[in-house]
Amino acid sequence: MSTRSGQGRGGEAVRSGPGRVLVAVYGIFALAATSRAAVQIATRFAEAPLAYVLSAFAGVVYIVLTVALARGARRVGIAACLVELAGVLVVGTLSLADPAAFPQATVWSGYGSGYGFVPLALPVIGLLWLLRGARRS
Amino acid sequence: MNGAYSGWLIGAALVLALVSLITAVRNRPMGPVLLAGLGLLELAVLVQAGLALADLGHVAEKATFIGYLLGTVVIPPAAMWWGRAERTRWGPVVITVAAFTVAVMTGRLLQIWNAGA
Repeated sequence: MSTRSGQGRGGEAVRSGPGRVLVAVYGIFALAATSRAAVQIATRFAEAPLAYVLSAFAGVVYIVLTVALARGARRVGIAACLVELAGVLVVGTLSLADPAAFPQATVWSGYGSGYGFVPLALPVIGLLWLLRGARRS
Repeated sequence: MNGAYSGWLIGAALVLALVSLITAVRNRPMGPVLLAGLGLLELAVLVQAGLALADLGHVAEKATFIGYLLGTVVIPPAAMWWGRAERTRWGPVVITVAAFTVAVMTGRLLQIWNAGA
């Protein structure tokens, strides 16, 4: 894997301490977003296809981040955090600009307002954590 | 599912989150109190899952409901494992997150339950 270089000593720094809290929170969001999307797509996909596909995509991003942080894969983590941040901002803006396309809430609707804005804060905290460790190691 | 029981469960989970947060602020790793608290929380959510599954016909959104039930049952053991692995103040922070999540999920369970079939 291309992430080998991001592991080792630097990887340990990513995984331990506050990193473990990030893994836990991302794990919960991975679980919440994917299972929610799975239910939505399985039971009522036609109602809001765009919103549900984005929901599923958010779930995949959270899974990637959970694994990347747990394994200490810094570069994958930074890339996924950027995708996540872009996703929250784009979907958040779209959901406010065109509510008709998002009749059902996704994790990223309204900048994550349904989840206490945690989805908006997470990528920023994740990036700070990953970049801080990068400078040190 | 019993509204009063789940209400108490939410309260208990929030107390555990608070105790765990205090442990983290005092810069201690997980001790026997938090371990026992997580064990009790797991017992409590198992009882809740039993009560809820016994009367599943009551809810309309079955898949979502069962998903949340599974979530509440899986989280406390995961937090225990984490608390043992991370022997710093960050272990209790994970437990705080976990207990808070169980409280929120139980709240969602109650909402779905009260919405009825």
